[in-house]
Amino acid sequence: MKLNIIAAFLALVLISVSCTNLDETLYSQVESKDYGQTSSEISTLVGGAYATLRGTNDDISISYPTCEYVFFLNECSSDEACIPARGTNWRDGGRYIQAQQHAWESDNVMLLSAWRYCYLGINKINEKIFTIESAEMGEEAKNSVLAELRSLRAYYYYQLLDMFGNVPLSIEFGADANLPNSTRKEVYEFVEKEFKESLPYLSEEVIYGRMTQNVVNAMLARLYINSEVYIGEARWQDCIEACEKVTGYIIEPDYFTNFLTENQVSQENIFVIPYDHKEGTVGNYLHSMTFHYEHKYTVSSTGDYPWCGNGICAQPGVYSMFEDIDRRKESMLAGDQIHKGTGSVIIMDNGEPLIYTEEIGDFENAKDNEGVRLHKYEVKAGEQWERDHDWVLIRYAEILMMQAECYVRLGSADLARPFIEQICTRAGIETPSTIDMDFLDDEWLREFVFEGTRRTVNIRFGTYFEPWWSKEANEAYTAIYPIPQTELDKNPSLQQNPGY
Amino acid sequence: MNSMNKIYKNKAQFLLKVFCLMVVGLYLLAHEGMAQQSTISVSGIINDETGQPLPGATVLVEGSAIGTTTGMDGTFILDVPSPATLIVSFISYKSQNILINESTPLPLTIQMVSDMVSLDEAVVVAVGYGTMRKSDLTGAISSVASDDLRQGVIASTEQVLQGKVAGLAVVQGSGDPASGAVMRLRGGTSIAAGNNPLVVVDGIPGVDINTIQPSEIESIDVLKDASSAAIYGSRGANGVIIITTNRENKGKSIEYSGYVAMSQVARHLDLLSANQWRQYVRDNNVTNAIDYGGNTDWQEELEQTGISQSHTISFNNGGKDSGVRASLTYFENEGVVKTTRLDRLSSSISAYQYGLDGKLKLELGLNANQDEWKPLDYRIFERSYNLSPVIPVTDENGNYTSVGGNIYENPVEIMNNRSVRNVRNRLLSYFKVELELLPGLKSSTNLSYEFNSTKGNTYKPTYAVMEGQTENGYAQKTLGEYVNKQLETYLTYDKSIENHRFNAMAGYSYLNNVYEGFGAQRRGFDTDLFLYNNLAAGQDFRADDNYSYKGEATLISFFGRLNYSYAGRYMLTGTVRRDGSSRFGANNKWGTFPSASFAWRISEESFMDGTRGWLDNLKLRVGYGITGNQEGIGEYKSLEITGAVSTDRYYDGVSDTWKSGFGTVQNANPDLKWEETAQINIGLDFSLLNRINGTVEVYQKKTSDLLYTYPVPTTQYAHPYMLANVGDMTNKGIEFSLTGNVMTRGDFSWDANLNLSSNQQEIDKLSNDQFQTDGVIYSGSLHGLPGMSGMYSQVIKEGYALGTFWGPQNHGLDEDGKFINDEEDSDLGNMQPKLNLGFGMNFTYKNLDASFATYGMFGQKVLNATAMVMNDPSRLPAYNVPDDFLTSGINDDPTYSSYWVEDASFFRLQSVTVGYTLPVKKLGLSNARVYVTGENLFVITGYSGVDPEVSIDGLDAPGIDKFNYYPKPMTVSLGLNLSF
Repeated sequence: MKLNIIAAFLALVLISVSCTNLDETLYSQVESKDYGQTSSEISTLVGGAYATLRGTNDDISISYPTCEYVFFLNECSSDEACIPARGTNWRDGGRYIQAQQHAWESDNVMLLSAWRYCYLGINKINEKIFTIESAEMGEEAKNSVLAELRSLRAYYYYQLLDMFGNVPLSIEFGADANLPNSTRKEVYEFVEKEFKESLPYLSEEVIYGRMTQNVVNAMLARLYINSEVYIGEARWQDCIEACEKVTGYIIEPDYFTNFLTENQVSQENIFVIPYDHKEGTVGNYLHSMTFHYEHKYTVSSTGDYPWCGNGICAQPGVYSMFEDIDRRKESMLAGDQIHKGTGSVIIMDNGEPLIYTEEIGDFENAKDNEGVRLHKYEVKAGEQWERDHDWVLIRYAEILMMQAECYVRLGSADLARPFIEQICTRAGIETPSTIDMDFLDDEWLREFVFEGTRRTVNIRFGTYFEPWWSKEANEAYTAIYPIPQTELDKNPSLQQNPGY
Repeated sequence: MNSMNKIYKNKAQFLLKVFCLMVVGLYLLAHEGMAQQSTISVSGIINDETGQPLPGATVLVEGSAIGTTTGMDGTFILDVPSPATLIVSFISYKSQNILINESTPLPLTIQMVSDMVSLDEAVVVAVGYGTMRKSDLTGAISSVASDDLRQGVIASTEQVLQGKVAGLAVVQGSGDPASGAVMRLRGGTSIAAGNNPLVVVDGIPGVDINTIQPSEIESIDVLKDASSAAIYGSRGANGVIIITTNRENKGKSIEYSGYVAMSQVARHLDLLSANQWRQYVRDNNVTNAIDYGGNTDWQEELEQTGISQSHTISFNNGGKDSGVRASLTYFENEGVVKTTRLDRLSSSISAYQYGLDGKLKLELGLNANQDEWKPLDYRIFERSYNLSPVIPVTDENGNYTSVGGNIYENPVEIMNNRSVRNVRNRLLSYFKVELELLPGLKSSTNLSYEFNSTKGNTYKPTYAVMEGQTENGYAQKTLGEYVNKQLETYLTYDKSIENHRFNAMAGYSYLNNVYEGFGAQRRGFDTDLFLYNNLAAGQDFRADDNYSYKGEATLISFFGRLNYSYAGRYMLTGTVRRDGSSRFGANNKWGTFPSASFAWRISEESFMDGTRGWLDNLKLRVGYGITGNQEGIGEYKSLEITGAVSTDRYYDGVSDTWKSGFGTVQNANPDLKWEETAQINIGLDFSLLNRINGTVEVYQKKTSDLLYTYPVPTTQYAHPYMLANVGDMTNKGIEFSLTGNVMTRGDFSWDANLNLSSNQQEIDKLSNDQFQTDGVIYSGSLHGLPGMSGMYSQVIKEGYALGTFWGPQNHGLDEDGKFINDEEDSDLGNMQPKLNLGFGMNFTYKNLDASFATYGMFGQKVLNATAMVMNDPSRLPAYNVPDDFLTSGINDDPTYSSYWVEDASFFRLQSVTVGYTLPVKKLGLSNARVYVTGENLFVITGYSGVDPEVSIDGLDAPGIDKFNYYPKPMTVSLGLNLSF
């Protein structure tokens, strides 16, 4: 009896002890080696690359191209916008005054955000290219997928070329992490080559939010028009030719069709970052960065509008550059802000009326109501924090403006006139008798105000280095930003840009 | 050379002793043979202090082998030579010598007096897979009996240990009735992988501590050093809390215990009242002030007197062969902030049965409980500080006022109009078999099943606005659950050969954890009638509205322990555990965790003979061991994972639809493993004057392979971050505890206990060749405070402890009221206390008893971010400020500096209890006691905020008082215990 019990017991122990299997069973996740086998799986991998255009907030850098540091960086260092300190708010360790004065510290978080925004996208694409190159799929389908990824990557490098100039070219997954800087010229050449090599494999159709031949030609035009800045070699004619290849778009009769909440209806927008809060997109809340806290009552009598932080606004002088009849002047909000419920001017919590003024007394200590506000995209009562309008990166008006500028620069102002007429007519203003560089400079601002491209225009026109409101003259080296200190600390092969 | 001499000397003494004994023995033999003595038959009864007979007591004739033990009725009969000295002894009682001759009146009645010291030494301590007598311990283990646990309203079981164990900090960062406390043993071991001790309930490791209610606890043993905790291997590094329940109580009883408690907010911020605000506006001719005509104390508007009650009924019938016990508790805990509460129904039933002539023991049990609670949106506290006192709560129509601004929404409206109902169910069932296979060889097998599920229900009405956001109604339901299935089986073997005692144990354990859950939410409701009960009524669909997940982990272990003791003087323990976890990377699937320890009862040595008059026990312990922490590794963390992330959703222009974008969401790390802590511990136990027990422990813990998520170059890795074992950290400290009887005079007795501990932490390493941190690692986020977006107050830095405040040093204010701050940032102190204290006393006089317990933390810093933000000249007149702002002279923007980093040392009266035991024997009751307990009646501190005890958990805001403070209650309860 006793022996039986012992034997049975020991047998039980042995059976249980023999189980030493530690394999992991996955249920709601999948190992990477098991994914990317079918064409629908591959299309989800490619789609993920486009999603990087929206940027991320990884707690250290808020890398949004639409409304926070990436956008702030380029807007606030241009002559059209600024973020003055208002009492306690918007001091944030001096990061915005550096942008205003082009007095950069390399540890400014906006620089790091922009750098990371681009490289996160680039390296993600490198990895996807690596995965897809080894996937089993037809040659034609593979080429088309790879062309989309390569041109998207080139778009990120175009931004790096424009902002930082001498950046490392990371083009292969698994390459050395400590890549040295390439020269701005090398980066330029890489961008041009990638765009050009991708072109034949891209769709000729207009496909919303995707890399197509039209989009790449528009981007090539941008590259060429700034060629003199980037590599010291003017390519105005190349720019015109690239523009001429962009087809299938119109100038929308109403300027603001391009900026509607449902702006996918626009036939002018060439490349956009699509947003839809219901689809879980994050990072599109520009109006909440500009309006005053009480502004919501101008939108809804019950204040049914997201919180606003009273930050970014137009620099003094920008608002007056627009004629009153200029339809585009509505891209800004100035003057008395009327409460929708009471019909009278909103009173701020300090007891003063909410009147947005063009003048800003003191960049370091602006009053809550000072500064004309950004008002480009549609504002609707009941909107969510995450706005639904797609973020416009390139629209057909830019193709026209680029051609006009190139013709003026090539000495054929007459050839520029038809393009400028389309722009001015749509805006509701007279086309001036003389189309010169000064006019073009202002018109670039008026047409594309708060679209994140003004800094590049300032540099191309040389105004970037001149004094303006709350800013002294700057030296030429400020045309590119310093490389973020965090990146320099991490990568010993990386050199700081000259001058910094 | 000296030590050699000593050994020889001892040996010589030993030989001499043996020789003397032999001589005496021979003499006695001879004496017996030569002298003819008379013999008397002595009868008697041996009672304890209360007059109850003591069965099993030993009666021995001094200097002879003649002896007996008392029977069940406490009596004995023994033939003894006359005259003789009887030695009467019983474990945990003082021995008595009684001189017997022919004239001694018979039968004897001997009353034994309990011996506090040996009582303490005889305590049985759970050491994991077995128990040991305290006197045999070689590691650092603190034991707390149920009577010594914290008293009062206990919402979460770990709170019973607050201030009770040297080295175990139990920090209660909130007064929320549904929130528990954070346990941190010896400073913790980890940066990011968790610092919670492993909880073992009746031998089942890994149990949710709240499965067990305080009323069911018999004792708690805390395994503090690595030589004790190594038996739990990769889960032992943060210490082990072993809870033994009263499921094996002997005897028959019915017990009731219950209380009713009233709580009030102990303290809140002194902010301007409406009158003070108006005075300020008049005195300063403030022109832009808007007086809404109200007179509101926003903090008081949120508060209430919380009424709580608890009732436990239990019955017990435990005998030699079988027993059963059952208990039921109903607990209702109302918070001091309106709407907050926790309701708990908890039950347990257990039974045991012996068979095969006592060789087989079967045992089974079931614990089940349900918690229902109402979480609070803590952002209402910030709003209650912000809103001006002249704003009324409601307007003339009874509608809640709304002045606007993202941090100025009406907190009363938020508090009252959100519907939240969370429910958690916990179930623990087990089956145990113990079988004596051969004399001394015993096998034990435990099978357990633990189920835990949490259901969440939330509804925000259509008009709700928070931080400027409205969702037109928001309803959410979530469910998360897990199952732990566990088999543990082990063999123990006991053997004694003369003075040598061996105990060996070897076992195997298999733990399988499966968790799964899902959630659904909808927005855009046209009616608020359904609350969270009808999700389909919401018309606003979003991509991430539904989700589900499932995962599984397996932990397999082999373990063993060997104890050896010689003559109760020298004790050696060695343990080893080998853990294999599915969570570990392929290259590190198995880890081995050994330990060794040694104890020497110096007081038993003959050369200590001269000290016996005052020194009852002196024991030196030395232990070393290696333990692990695998809390920070979730499932599948070592694999490269591709996933659909919501941030990767994209618009597919071809199909005109939004789709989930897929990508690599996690890099492979086949080297991923546990964090490893090597700890050395030296302890000294002592007992003095038969009434004082004390322990001193000194330790050093060296943790290596600290887990942290490192940024990795995306040129080489598909994902920009990676969890890796890199850093090192050291903790060292000293602990001291003392318990004793201060005085006993007749019916009055006075006991006291004290524990002190000090821990010092330093991070030694954070980077290696492969993984570097992104510059400094910041912690203590200030994000969300005005003007401080994306800013941090602390650094995690080599050479410093976790939670080190890092910022500009302040040198006061200049004549304009501006802060004079250094340009450079520097070390502003640390949120970890330098000293922890627990101190209490108990008094009894006849039927009256009284006790108090206190605890304190000293030397820690707290960032008073609430004050930092509120002492802002731009707040007035629109927003409220602290009273003392008006005299502070501050005329500057809120700026983080040492100005706001305060010493938060405190000393708190945890509880005071006065009880009276009613004389109820005549009524058929065996015991009845009524008591009054007051909790948190005062706290002594120099800290200027609401409460110096703030949460130390996590990396986000440890040691930061940041608006989110649920005030602690001051509580008085009236209780009754009955048994019959």
